[in-house]
Amino acid sequence: MRWRRETDHEDRDCLRRLSSNSASNGGDLSWISKIQVNHPAVLRRAEQVQARRTVKKEWQAGWLLKAVTFIDLTTLSGDDTSSNVQRLCYKAKYPIREDLLKALNMHDKGITTAAVCVYPARVCDAVKALKAAGCDIPVASVATGFPAGQTHLKTRLEEIRLAVEDGATEIDVVINRSLVLTGQWEALYDEIRQFRKACGEAHLKTILATGELGSLTNVYKASMIAMMAGSDFIKTSTGKETVNATFPVAIVMLRAIRDFFWKTGNKVGFKPAGGIRTAKDSLAWLSLIKEEVGDEWLKPELFRIGASTLLSDIERQIYHHVTGRYAAYHDLPMS
Amino acid sequence: MAATRAAPRAREIFSTLEYGPVPESHACALAWLDTQDRHLGHYVNGKWLKPDHRNSVPCQDPITGEKLASCLQAQAEDVAAAAEAARTALENWSRLPGARRAQHLTRLAKMIQKHQRLLWTLESLVTGRAVREVRDRDVPLAQQLLQYHAVQAHSQEEVLAGWEPMGVIGLIVPPTFSFLEMMWRICPALAVGCTVVVLVPPASPTPLLLAQLAGELGSFPGILNVISGPTSLGPVLASQPGVQKVAFCGVVEEGRALRRTLAGKGLELSLALGAESLLLVTEAADVDSAVEGVVDAAWSDRSPGGLRLLIQESVWDETMRRLQARMGRLRAGRGLDGAVDMGARGAAARDLAQRYVREAQSQGAQVFQAGDVPSDSPFYPPTLVSDLPPASPCTQAEVPWPLVVASPFRTAKEALAMANGTPRGGSASVWSERLGPALELGYGLRMGTVWINAHGLRDPAVPMGGCKENGSSWHGGPDGLYEYLQPSGTPARLPHLSENLNYDTFGLAVPSALPAGPETGPSPAPPYGLFVGGRFQAPGARSSRPIQDLQGNLHSYVAEGGAKDIRGAVEAAHQAAPSWVGQSPGARAALLWALAAALERRESALASRLERHGVELKVAKAEVELSVRRLRAWGARAQAQGHTLQVAELRGPVLRLREPLGVLAIVCPDEWPLLAFVSLLAPALAHGNTVVLVPSGACPIPALEVCQDMATLLPAGLVNVVTGDRDHLTRCLALHQDIQALWYFGSVQGSQFVEWASAGNLKPVWVNRGLPRAWDQDAEGAGPELGLRAARTKALWLPMGD
Repeated sequence: MRWRRETDHEDRDCLRRLSSNSASNGGDLSWISKIQVNHPAVLRRAEQVQARRTVKKEWQAGWLLKAVTFIDLTTLSGDDTSSNVQRLCYKAKYPIREDLLKALNMHDKGITTAAVCVYPARVCDAVKALKAAGCDIPVASVATGFPAGQTHLKTRLEEIRLAVEDGATEIDVVINRSLVLTGQWEALYDEIRQFRKACGEAHLKTILATGELGSLTNVYKASMIAMMAGSDFIKTSTGKETVNATFPVAIVMLRAIRDFFWKTGNKVGFKPAGGIRTAKDSLAWLSLIKEEVGDEWLKPELFRIGASTLLSDIERQIYHHVTGRYAAYHDLPMS
Repeated sequence: MAATRAAPRAREIFSTLEYGPVPESHACALAWLDTQDRHLGHYVNGKWLKPDHRNSVPCQDPITGEKLASCLQAQAEDVAAAAEAARTALENWSRLPGARRAQHLTRLAKMIQKHQRLLWTLESLVTGRAVREVRDRDVPLAQQLLQYHAVQAHSQEEVLAGWEPMGVIGLIVPPTFSFLEMMWRICPALAVGCTVVVLVPPASPTPLLLAQLAGELGSFPGILNVISGPTSLGPVLASQPGVQKVAFCGVVEEGRALRRTLAGKGLELSLALGAESLLLVTEAADVDSAVEGVVDAAWSDRSPGGLRLLIQESVWDETMRRLQARMGRLRAGRGLDGAVDMGARGAAARDLAQRYVREAQSQGAQVFQAGDVPSDSPFYPPTLVSDLPPASPCTQAEVPWPLVVASPFRTAKEALAMANGTPRGGSASVWSERLGPALELGYGLRMGTVWINAHGLRDPAVPMGGCKENGSSWHGGPDGLYEYLQPSGTPARLPHLSENLNYDTFGLAVPSALPAGPETGPSPAPPYGLFVGGRFQAPGARSSRPIQDLQGNLHSYVAEGGAKDIRGAVEAAHQAAPSWVGQSPGARAALLWALAAALERRESALASRLERHGVELKVAKAEVELSVRRLRAWGARAQAQGHTLQVAELRGPVLRLREPLGVLAIVCPDEWPLLAFVSLLAPALAHGNTVVLVPSGACPIPALEVCQDMATLLPAGLVNVVTGDRDHLTRCLALHQDIQALWYFGSVQGSQFVEWASAGNLKPVWVNRGLPRAWDQDAEGAGPELGLRAARTKALWLPMGD
């Protein structure tokens, strides 16, 4: 990604260029402060997009298997230990029962989840377990004072470096919400730039914690800043806020991603997380991506779903599709 | 096992991630058609009516062309049978307490709920519209309509005291876009106690199914009768005894023709015409949301017609880019597919769109089409037309489905001029994140409905209607109820009136006024001029007409006004309109009260004028006094207009505004020369109209005397009074295209002419059909009916959210 390889000096230029690209008279972020998102209209669109698209039968099976490959299989609990992380990693490698995949003639497609996502202290466990399972599924680590981000910048940056050292190749950082709520967009930009630098080669996924940003207009602005600062992905939420990944928020973020692409030619990825539990939900998310930014975004490099229980429901649906029966709890392996 | 068959597909879909078909079974619709042996007749008096020896037309699946059923075409006697059933049912139904009718409507709502799947599959199958729209929007709205109107029926005695149901209503609906068009109108009609005969175009089974559902409730058969036949049966339906009103919705030209045909037939006619809508994108808009608004308006099977799109020049490129990108993601297909945005509407609609596009292209327009649309015949892709020269014939014509015609504008003022510069006055939306400019446009648009930052929202509590060539009928909300009510004690429709009025010659020539013999009496009053533009002017014809008193003695002369004077008066009224509309109700009230005071000062002079005309002095004094009271009363009422509605689906208010009609022409009755003049003038002014008025022919002097006060008190041009030959002046007013409404109180022939001529610009008219009116009674002289007719409603939707 050319965008994030640039030096700090060039980045400033980029920022300026972006600013002056827009109608405003340039040099600052004032064009961002003019942006307005209409809340009720976005809510209506969110309702419609769910009601107007659906897939059935083989299409559903194909889509669900695709959804599996977008999952960042996640465990973020206080009681995580190496044993359940190991189990999670194994599930990431074998997300769907082999015989079900065979029945669908999909066993040779190498279907795994997109990544495994853990707390920084569990990165070593995950890297080890995946190595043992013999696969190159990336390990993602949350960082920067997850989930609230209310720690010192210094320790937040250090957290990133340590996670990368331990072998995480994707870092999910949370932004400092106070900077958004007080309108300090330049400061927010600077912080994310520093996260970007601390990540080095690792991918930067920026969590906006949209449930705490106050308005959809703020969501759009924060998305734009995060992308300008070099994020590879923007992510809806930590899963720890009261409001998580919702359709209205996703629509606004996706529109920001498309606008950013139109302005700069760079494609930034999107990751909804939190509250996505059912196979049906995941289908709706796939069609939302299709409708708002198009098929080009439907690949793991540009779309992820952060989830923990979603996978088992997808497996359950695949089981039903293949056998015509509803699975019992013990029919499917636990993760 | 099923999976082995599916396997290769799933593998392929895994990499393409394409959409697949999501067919909705229409087995129940076919099963219902089978119960009728695939042979549909009419539903009259709670029974199917399938007379022999009638032509029938096939009802086809608009996409496959498969014949679903054959439908009988009604003839005059079938229409008569339906009207007879409705008339019989009216006896009972109109006399029921509102609460009983409410119960019945609630039962019908439940009945619809029980059979909703049948309803939506049948509707989608035969119309080709996306089933999602019918299922998620139309069917629930149909139930809400019944529930809302049940509540209105329940409180009818309390809220609508002084009003009574009109009687049998004839409803004519167009080749249906949706069965909702019918529901919007039958619900209020049934709620207030009318019974209905609906004439649906051939091959529309859904209204028949609805009638059957209503019929199967058991009690009150005959309140809803549905017959299918061509629109040409409209006049037959109108001529049935007992039919008091015809409500027509459909094409503008058909509405115009019906207006002419039914002139002088003594029944009410309400028109709801045209289907085009308008969308305004300002530079302060959330453009992505506005683009979704365009999709709602034109490409989601939500509205019957096309869309005119006005985009502010500064955001033109951005909007067009987003719009075109969005169009690429639209999907059209079989209506019964659960994942399409648009269905198909048959060959006629497609041909219309095709013709429009071809013509637009030949005039140099850019045409952009996109979307995932089957290429075979009945489908037509979402289409965006731009760069259409403003003067091309296409720009004037109504935009058909599924077209959007985009043009740029520079300023809000220009946008208003462009939007209001068309003969259409239906619905529009304004997109702006800035409240001030949004409201400026919302108030300024001459439309029945304006949505701010939304498009196509509807609710039973919110009136929908229009102005100009959209016709001036209303459905929904309080306005929808008044469509089917008349003030208690309104005389029933008279049997037939003058058939053969010669429209070409009526009022064409003015009999010339010759010297009328010796002037008698103390001193004949000086000849007044015409009161136009705030001062007395000499008439264009430079002639006068004599006014005789009761004994036949020459009383005085008044000016003989003509076509040119009417033209001048209308111009003056238009010039005065903007500032009068801008006045606060308080300021209007103050002026009316000042006029009342002036009238009071003139009391003795006015009374003696009236006395010379044969009125007893005591009665004359009472007339003056009552006139003063009327002015004061309407001044007070000017303060309380419009209100806020709460709507279930929406966060935020809907404002029900009462806006002036514009220039209102009033032809006063001969009787009550002062009182009728004031009683008509006062509500017109209170509601912000400017007025061109023809006073009593027999005794115009009192009105002219009042003009002397108006000359000093009122802004110039607000009220213009033209004396002269009433038939001639009526002709000039009725044929004037730039008069927004006309009230006529005069002869039977005059009434008929006014109704006929109003077809020109489809202005709302109010005629007395030669009947006298008790101007001295408050019910008729100052009742709510006058207030209702003196303004038009606009619904302004204001969704809120952060």
